Amino acid sequence: MVKVFVTWSSMIKVGRYFDKNYKELVKEVIDSLELGNKHIDYLIISSVLSARALNQLDISTMIAQYLGLNNVKTSRIETGESSGLAAIEYAYYLIKSNLAKNVLVVGIDKLTEYPTQVTNEHYNLILDYELETLRRVSPPNYAALVMKEYMRRYRVSREDLTIWPIKMHENAVQNPYAQLRFKVSKDKVLNSIVVSEPIRLLDTFPIGDGAAAVLLSSECSTECIEILSVEASTSLQFYLRDDILELPASKAALSKVISRSGLSSSELKNSLIELHDSYSIYGMLLLEELGITDKGSSWREVSNLDNINLSGGLKARGHPLGATGVYQLCEVHKLMTEGLGGNVFDGKYALIHSMSGPDYNARLCLIRRGE
Amino acid sequence: MLDWVKVLSRPESRAGIVGWGVYIPRYRIKALDIARMWGFPEELIKSLWIEEKAVGAEDEDAVTIGWYAAKVALERGGVDPKEVGAVFFGTESKPYAVKPSATIVADALGISNIKMASDLEFACRAGGEGIRNAIALVSAGFMKYALAIGSDTAQAAPGDVLELTASSGGAAYLIGPSDKSVAIFEGVVTYVTDTPDFWRRDLCKYPKHGEIFTGEPAYFHHITSAVSILLSELGLKPEDFNYAVFHQPNGKFPLQVGRKLGFPKEKILPGIVTPWIGNTYNGSALIGLAKVLEQAKPGDRILVATFGSGAGSDAFSIVVKDGIDDVAKRGPLVEDLLKRKRYVSYGEYAKYRRLLIKV
Repeated sequence: MVKVFVTWSSMIKVGRYFDKNYKELVKEVIDSLELGNKHIDYLIISSVLSARALNQLDISTMIAQYLGLNNVKTSRIETGESSGLAAIEYAYYLIKSNLAKNVLVVGIDKLTEYPTQVTNEHYNLILDYELETLRRVSPPNYAALVMKEYMRRYRVSREDLTIWPIKMHENAVQNPYAQLRFKVSKDKVLNSIVVSEPIRLLDTFPIGDGAAAVLLSSECSTECIEILSVEASTSLQFYLRDDILELPASKAALSKVISRSGLSSSELKNSLIELHDSYSIYGMLLLEELGITDKGSSWREVSNLDNINLSGGLKARGHPLGATGVYQLCEVHKLMTEGLGGNVFDGKYALIHSMSGPDYNARLCLIRRGE
Repeated sequence: MLDWVKVLSRPESRAGIVGWGVYIPRYRIKALDIARMWGFPEELIKSLWIEEKAVGAEDEDAVTIGWYAAKVALERGGVDPKEVGAVFFGTESKPYAVKPSATIVADALGISNIKMASDLEFACRAGGEGIRNAIALVSAGFMKYALAIGSDTAQAAPGDVLELTASSGGAAYLIGPSDKSVAIFEGVVTYVTDTPDFWRRDLCKYPKHGEIFTGEPAYFHHITSAVSILLSELGLKPEDFNYAVFHQPNGKFPLQVGRKLGFPKEKILPGIVTPWIGNTYNGSALIGLAKVLEQAKPGDRILVATFGSGAGSDAFSIVVKDGIDDVAKRGPLVEDLLKRKRYVSYGEYAKYRRLLIKV
């Protein structure tokens, strides 16, 4: 059975790169890649806004040409906010099915190319354009409904839920690649600008540019970080759900990962976990959905969880859309090998979660340290 | 102690400020009223540090504002208008698209017909460039006095975040030989690039801007570059200055850029005016400088850095001389102009600034 390993990873600090175009950002990331005698069989690009913000179709060919990669197979993957992990998913299956030995996955998006309002209009296209976007429903609106319902059902105050951004910003201070490397206080969260009541600016991710890359290979050299499984699922539209506090796609992806890998619940709890916290309420709900904490009580435990979003999460590391899933794998790879900003994870398993919008599609990637 | 030999070593030190004047319209609108009108969060006005802005009345425009400021500058300097050899009018809101405003002001002040006169346009720093031109002409001996004016009735599209700050006001500086000046220019550096952070196309009524792009790559990059080059050319450090005045698009930016450059808040706050009158564009840094001159003591050293989108910054090192107190007293003080105010509603403001046109 072919195995899939993460053999190299690289990223730039998420931020505003007004003086560099997307090709230059990708090149900066790729510069440290030493292939030796390996040949890249496939280049997969994850980019959500390439056609909109970068005015570029067929971006994977443009990047291959710019990097001087001749005669390679390329494609661009786009599944909304989970695109990065989707690209990793396809790379994983290419190697798993013996169609490739080395696949380079690059995540790239530049969110600062346009003013906020335009970028938000682009971002809102991750929902159904005809049924939702056109009616001015946006992802933070859904997250706001979820947050309100969470507060109502579990009798939790708005103040209690400030713990997620506080913890994420604390974590990001350690991550040299994070966009927001500063701590925030409860008051700062509560007094930040309202995005969609009760969600405030500090409950959500900053707008930033990012580029990250991983090389997946069928053979590992020194430290073997193996991708055990990548699973995905989709869910019903938000407005057709029986219970908006459930994240059905994430839940379905998790059960596939568990049944495929046989991961026990204690192994899961002790894993290094990266969650898609586009809005802080999703971070807390995901802890409950993954069974790490009980329903309605995750917020009580967030401050004690030292294996969740060591990167700072989308909240503080940033969320350059198509690059985010690749960042998550880069961070996990670094934490399990050379370390990330002084942090090292010496456990056996890591789990990466990514989703789009209110869990419209979700992906999970299980990683194991080699024997 | 100042090393006067060093202070006077560059050609610009042959020129100085002989007089200055400021005009701020009486009307004010509270930022909160604008925020409520358009649904801006209150946190936004707090984070920008903008409390109210000056509103030019129906009969006020960049020319009337600039004229008043220039009249006071001449009065402060005690200079016969006939001795003024140049008038530079820096604005981005001149009443005539084609036809100089500088000539209107010059003739209204009784300045000689044998003079240079032109309007300068460089977003918010044309007034600063006017001062540079005046310094060059005076220090080279082409004329005894030159007048540089920065005046605007800044436009902002209703509902744009710019509307919270874009305001009306102006300042004028009479530049003359150093022996007639109460403050001299120790050094000047201008740093300019092509950076499209803020613009208004021909025939468009309101400007557009690149939001956050107006910050780091524009305002901060240009001011820090101009100031750093000036400090290194003069061999000075932030500690050598008693005051620092920066262009003030809002209350927050000048403090931030000061922090980046190593100027403590205490040296910047005396020249801050935007939180109470808004961003008067070409008047912004120059009104701040006037406020500082009106409290400075002989021997004080003042850093001034303008900024104009597009983009550029002029950094000036100014050393105050004896006699400044007397000259300051000869005209209305900025402190008093800040207090002279009457609040108007959003509706009145919309009428005065022609956001609503009666047909």
